[in-house]
Amino acid sequence: MSERLIFAVPSKGRLMEQTAEALSKAGLVLRKTGDERGYRGEVAGIENVEVAYISSSEIAWYLKIGRAHLGVTGEDLVREQMPDADQRVRFLKPLGFGFADVVVAVPASWLDVRSMSDLDQISGSFRREHGRAMRVATKYMNLTRRFFASKGIADYRIVESLGATEGTPLAGTADLIVDITTTGSTLKANGLRILEDGVILKSEANLIASNGAPWSDATRRAAERLVSALGG
Amino acid sequence: MTRLFPLEGEKKHAELQEMAAETAKKFEALEAQASRLMGVFIAAGYEAVAPAMIQPAGVYLDAIGEALRARTYVFTDPGGDELCLRPDLTVPTCRLYLERNGTNTAEARYCYNGAAFRFQPQGADKAHPREFRQAGIESFGVLDACEADAETLITILEALEAAGLDDYRLRLGDLGLFDAILKTVAMPERWRQRLKHHFWHPEAFRAELGRLATAPGDLMGGIPDELARLIDPASPAEAEQAVARYLEIAGIEAIGVRSVAEITANLLSRSADARAEPLSATAAGLIESYLAVAGPALKAGSAIKDVVRAEGVDIADALIAYQRRLSLLSNAGIDLARAEFSAEFGRTLEYYTGFVFEIVVPKLGVSSPVAGGGRYDGLMKGVGAAIDIPAVGAAIHTERLLAAVDGVAS
Repeated sequence: MSERLIFAVPSKGRLMEQTAEALSKAGLVLRKTGDERGYRGEVAGIENVEVAYISSSEIAWYLKIGRAHLGVTGEDLVREQMPDADQRVRFLKPLGFGFADVVVAVPASWLDVRSMSDLDQISGSFRREHGRAMRVATKYMNLTRRFFASKGIADYRIVESLGATEGTPLAGTADLIVDITTTGSTLKANGLRILEDGVILKSEANLIASNGAPWSDATRRAAERLVSALGG
Repeated sequence: MTRLFPLEGEKKHAELQEMAAETAKKFEALEAQASRLMGVFIAAGYEAVAPAMIQPAGVYLDAIGEALRARTYVFTDPGGDELCLRPDLTVPTCRLYLERNGTNTAEARYCYNGAAFRFQPQGADKAHPREFRQAGIESFGVLDACEADAETLITILEALEAAGLDDYRLRLGDLGLFDAILKTVAMPERWRQRLKHHFWHPEAFRAELGRLATAPGDLMGGIPDELARLIDPASPAEAEQAVARYLEIAGIEAIGVRSVAEITANLLSRSADARAEPLSATAAGLIESYLAVAGPALKAGSAIKDVVRAEGVDIADALIAYQRRLSLLSNAGIDLARAEFSAEFGRTLEYYTGFVFEIVVPKLGVSSPVAGGGRYDGLMKGVGAAIDIPAVGAAIHTERLLAAVDGVAS
């Protein structure tokens, strides 16, 4: 069992920059160890911490299986990968960046569909009219399924979409979407509108602890120092 | 700092839960039990079949819906086809019937014993296995529904008793009675469709019933006033023009497969609903009092009769069917004192359409029935039949049965 605390942080993009910024504001300086292009690092002044730079969706996976003790990633990615997130991890502190709402959006021209219950109401006639169930494009298959089930909607099919999801209704590969949005402008540009009660999750980047990681006195002490520096 | 990190020795979430190792002894006990069950089924005239374990996922998704994925092992094979490990044997047996019979709706009776697979989101354990064996029967195309319903339950009970089960209770329900009640209550047909649609989701059902009884006008809620005013069921052509004009002025492009005509048609039917008289308080009360009926099966018929008589409603045919089924059961020697009826029972099992039942034993409790089944006249169409085909069936959870009769499994 490792005595070092594994701290997973995003390896690229805006989320990486914002994470580094938030940490340095808290007086925590991340340093790459070894090659500058490598994916390992340390936190100046705190012993026993190994920083792992990995992609943000993988961070959720690392936390799930306990390969990392602590990590910074979006709540949306964690909840998507773990139906039992509250048993497997602890959300220690929202970090005030990486804001993203996971929403249900339909073509703006569907004037008769304003709410999830309107969507439920048209599912039957949609099938009769088009000989198939409504198709929902998303990369959030689990969040979508749970949310639709909680609203009592059963007659739809998920089409997995790993990019440019907002364009799928216009392209005809899906009828509606579940995706993240910050300002809503991309949705609007693609002729889509968010349903009134269609916000599945208001997500932001969080500092998250894994319940499944091999916690020891040493890793716990290191974690406490990191978390108290961040004001958690 | 108030956060606590997991303490030493705190139970870790088991990442790879041990697959239950099946002992040879348990395997033999299950096999011996299965041959007794199958012996009863075959003697009762059911032909033994062995449908494939791997099934196309699409058929299940069409028949049961996307929720299926939450509890089924769905996977994509190297050829890109979406397949699943069968979560039950009913749908595969329906497919087998269709393959054999094509468009012919001949009577057929099948029985099976085989593995089914369910994903357990909270982790698999002995009470919630990811792999279990079902032994069951399905009967297709039999026109006398009561007769086929009763025969199914009688055969299942005979099999359970042959396996050594004697201490059990019966839970009965009848979705046909609910249908009959709904048919007799005066309301626009679309309201009936709405209530039926929500039947499976009791909370949404109550909300819908309340809305129809107090403020059907809310059905136009959320539609912009300037548009809602122009949607008049008396002049549909004008309504379509109004919708097209509204979209144009708002700068909204109509995208996707739903045309302006389709959207208008839905707005028109909602407008008609919104203009209709609310559902009477007596009608809403009747539906609610019916759904509250629960108690001994032998007394339920007269309890329901009391409910409907008080409202002056006639559902004689459905009640006669209910009583006839009971007498068929009691003529076959079934002790109906063990049977309880609940109008709500069957409400969480979306594909049933009529008679539903479960057999529970004190040792395992109501949440783990040893057998269950019912009528599902709509499912065949869901798996590809051109028309509805009468169907009723039931399956025994064989590991639970073995546990109930004190076998090796637990």
